[in-house]
Amino acid sequence: MNRRETIWQRWTIYAAALAVGAALWQLASLYVKPTFLSSFTETAARVWELAQTGVLAQALASSLMLFGTGLACAIIVGGVLGLLLARARLLRIALENYIMVLYATPMVALIPFILSMMGFGFAPKALVVFLFAVFPILYNTVEGARSIKAEMLEVARSFRSDEWAIWRDVLVPYTLPFALTGIRQGVGRGLVGMIAAEFFLSSSGMGQIIMRSGQDFDIPSLYASILVVTILGVALISLGHALENRFAAWRGLDR
Amino acid sequence: MTVSVAPAPSRTSGALRALLTSDGAVRVIAGIVILLVWEIVVALWAPPFVARPSGIVTVFPAVIVNPQFWRSAGLTLGAVFQGLGIAFAIGTVLGVGIGRIRFVDRLSALYISGFFAMPLTAILPLVSLWFGYTGDARLATIVFAAFFSIVLNVADGARAVPPEFIEVSRSFRGSAWSRLFDVILPTSIPYILAGVRLAAGRALIGAVVSEFFLSIPGLGFFILFQARSFHHNEAFVGVAVLAVAGVLFEIALRQATARYLPWYRRGERGG
Repeated sequence: MNRRETIWQRWTIYAAALAVGAALWQLASLYVKPTFLSSFTETAARVWELAQTGVLAQALASSLMLFGTGLACAIIVGGVLGLLLARARLLRIALENYIMVLYATPMVALIPFILSMMGFGFAPKALVVFLFAVFPILYNTVEGARSIKAEMLEVARSFRSDEWAIWRDVLVPYTLPFALTGIRQGVGRGLVGMIAAEFFLSSSGMGQIIMRSGQDFDIPSLYASILVVTILGVALISLGHALENRFAAWRGLDR
Repeated sequence: MTVSVAPAPSRTSGALRALLTSDGAVRVIAGIVILLVWEIVVALWAPPFVARPSGIVTVFPAVIVNPQFWRSAGLTLGAVFQGLGIAFAIGTVLGVGIGRIRFVDRLSALYISGFFAMPLTAILPLVSLWFGYTGDARLATIVFAAFFSIVLNVADGARAVPPEFIEVSRSFRGSAWSRLFDVILPTSIPYILAGVRLAAGRALIGAVVSEFFLSIPGLGFFILFQARSFHHNEAFVGVAVLAVAGVLFEIALRQATARYLPWYRRGERGG
């Protein structure tokens, strides 16, 4: 019962699961009106078609540009501010409750304000991605840096480490795995923000394809574009997981 | 041995300083500074319609007595709770199944993580197609937003039940039923709570964003409508209600965790 399964066995089962899912999808499309559901084969063909015409590559590039800009800003701001808050006690006490409030507030509610203040350019959209992604990063970085054992800092200080050395050798390496947990959460939220920005601010990228095919009742394109966005999400989040596991080993926790 | 002593201030100023540097006072002062900076920045550089603290305070009473506002808030938050309830009920069952039965896990793993990674905003056109521009579409968005983080966390929890616990239950001839309700579920509670916490945040996002998209009555639509007609201060009262709802939920779950699961720290998953 408790035998180990090999990697091959596991992936064979995954492949089988995918095949079953595709078959069920195809079967379901026979019984559901085509205005609600496009079949698996039709959707796959449409993905191929969109890829062939270059529409997909263009939209993906535009979306990733937006996502990358927002996420990069979120990582820089969240990481640096997080470490700073962990190191400066007074600043942390002053701000941590307000950060918690912002973490728990659905940032999507700010989109109408951003729209009427900043209009339709690239910057407001990147700001939306940033706002979605920054708080999980900030929150996890602070939590991580706070959990550094006081002895570690004391040892560093006993060996006459200066502030720079403490940051480089203790603070940053210790906090990295926690920050990566935050970054992975930020990636997920940032994608939600990316599509929201592309819907509600100036229409562009994958969000535009999804929105437009919904409005035109172009059902195969709608499913195809959602499928592509999902695959993009899975790829980015898996990357986050891989990075996290790589560094979780040195955090010495689970898995 | 000498002890270095700070230059002794007079007793009253010492007490005052202690009060000013106490944690609570630091937080209050920081809050005041943030509000002041906001006020000044908007007054100096932003167009007059932009929300600022003094403006929000001025419109606050009028918004608060508006029954329309509370009806909107009730619709949105009611849908969030309903959606969380549905997602929790189904998600726990599926999560335990995935965590305890390897076949179910292997069969569903790719789909669960795929749907989890799907940005919840992307399904809005699809949901409006299936459910129309109605409250049902909002509820469906909320359930979708909340469901998969609950499933993932419950599955992690059910997987992490120590095998000894199961063995003891077996040795005492406990039924499968009792193994589920007396061993697996209680042991997974910390994971379940972590899942609900994450799900609640996503559910709020789902509710607001679906109201933006579908233009159906609710707090999100209230915010959108007010902001579009350049009543940013009024709109911001709506944002404040959302923030309070999010924070209250977070605090309630933290309290529950600290009270009933004092040994538990973290182990959540997702975003």
